[in-house]
Amino acid sequence: MSQTVTLARCRPRRRSWPAWTALADALHAEWTKLRTVPGTGWILAALCVLTIGVGAGTDSATRCATGVGCTLDTTRVSLTGILAGQAVVAVLAVLVISGEYSTGMITATFTAMPRRPVVLAAKAIVLTALVLAASVVAVAGSLLAGRLLLATNGLTAAHGFAVVSLARGPTVRAAAGSVLYMALIGLLSLGVATIVRDSAAATGAVLAVLYVAPIAALFLGSNPVWQRRVERYSPVNAGLTIEDTTGLRHLPIGPWGGLAVLAIWAAAALVAAGLQLRLRDA
Amino acid sequence: MEATIEVTGLRKRFGATLALDGMSFTVQPGQVTGFVGPNGAGKTTTMRVILGLDAPDAGRALIDGRPYPKLQRPLSRIGALLDAAALQPGRTGRNHLLWLAHSQGLSGRRVDEVLEQAGLASAARRKAGGYSLGMRQRLGIAAAMLGDPPVLILDEPFNGMDPEGIVWMRGFLRSLAAEGRAVLVSSHLMSELQDTADHLVVAGRGKVIADATVADLIAAASGDRVLLRTSGRTEAMTVLAHAGATVAATGRDTLTISGLPAERVVALLSEAGVPFSEVSAHRASLEEAYMELTRDAVEFRARPAEEAAQ
Repeated sequence: MSQTVTLARCRPRRRSWPAWTALADALHAEWTKLRTVPGTGWILAALCVLTIGVGAGTDSATRCATGVGCTLDTTRVSLTGILAGQAVVAVLAVLVISGEYSTGMITATFTAMPRRPVVLAAKAIVLTALVLAASVVAVAGSLLAGRLLLATNGLTAAHGFAVVSLARGPTVRAAAGSVLYMALIGLLSLGVATIVRDSAAATGAVLAVLYVAPIAALFLGSNPVWQRRVERYSPVNAGLTIEDTTGLRHLPIGPWGGLAVLAIWAAAALVAAGLQLRLRDA
Repeated sequence: MEATIEVTGLRKRFGATLALDGMSFTVQPGQVTGFVGPNGAGKTTTMRVILGLDAPDAGRALIDGRPYPKLQRPLSRIGALLDAAALQPGRTGRNHLLWLAHSQGLSGRRVDEVLEQAGLASAARRKAGGYSLGMRQRLGIAAAMLGDPPVLILDEPFNGMDPEGIVWMRGFLRSLAAEGRAVLVSSHLMSELQDTADHLVVAGRGKVIADATVADLIAAASGDRVLLRTSGRTEAMTVLAHAGATVAATGRDTLTISGLPAERVVALLSEAGVPFSEVSAHRASLEEAYMELTRDAVEFRARPAEEAAQ
């Protein structure tokens, strides 16, 4: 009995789980990469400025004749800039992977870290952290701008509109959800860019994913069945329902359900990307 | 077990091109192994397979008996320089090494050590995009040395280096081997390896054509030829041909003779009264040995001048 105990003590402790060590190393490396390339800071700043700027512009241009059944969702109007800011998120995501393919640095990356799916996971985590941080600023700024600017256009509580306020449950959900939306757009873009590899092609592919379906939905008015399908299942249309705070019953898909559709798209893109990293030569 | 690279029966096809056609060789510790061959011989593809970047259709490459993807923190087992130009131009040289170091659990202190070793310390905080090709090669060397690995593979490390850099690189490769490391260096120019490599693997059309020590290769290419310098070229040719030698005119007053030892040549010419100013045993350069070996394996070749003129 005592012998068994001694043996157990002598056995080398196997605390470091290789997969975990590999991920920790990869996270450290990917973080160092992103913070030592000059573009990252600018892109994150652009993300905030563009989102808040487009939101503020829309706020000041939005007017509603009072009492004519105008049903504007003030929160959603304030968050209009997300539609522009997501392009910046996509650009950052493409940079994270395609930048390495275009310079050839990807060979150094995969030589240093041969477990390619682990590298992709590390890139995804670092990208998500940065996008979340910047999006909190962008969304907070957008809501603040909406609160200040929409009131000057008469979209006030006195006229029956909900003032943009984090005291309102649905607005809190829209705000938090929009931050998550941006992170998911980043992951979807990272997956697509990893599959496409080439910078220019990846940027094109990602922007097409982000903007073709929403634009198509606008022109599908004559075909309500397809319009509804696009609104329910395209990543951007479905995902953006997270911004809605009024008229939820008439939405093609519920806010969290919509965000889940986007999450499924992002997960599928990342899984496909991980598989092709394993199967294709670097 | 000593650190080695073992490549066995690698085959790899890219579309219609057969890049590797049964490539096999071993790299031993304590020596510089030159990996030479014409462009398209499969040198870079072999190295990419060793590093786990490309998957072979058949065969395998092992480092210390293990395939590359199975190595943990691989840079401390094997260091590599593949394409020195492959880095993000906006990042400083030091930061390029820093992310590599972090990927292996190494610190910034190690980065400064290898920068010093590669002679790049003064340029470390400049953007890598502004580096000359020679400086990028040094950065690549620094990256390969990060994990202080017992095995190194370097693809064309002399490319773009100035004469001073080439001398430095030769000394550096020699010192790595002297420390007992296994060093595999590819080059398409044999002269670069003349005084550096101990062993040569000559590749052509995706397989190994010759795998021997440098001394053996030169001896084989030299044969028993004798070089003769004479003002009476025609007479000398007649005399020597009568004695059973094969004689070739290699210049206006020089002949290359095979089939007769040098002493016999001297005796014959003196007997016949043919003047000569020099008789020497011909020693092939590594370059000639290489040309001989790869003649049939060159993928793209210019037609000889006479042929083109016809």
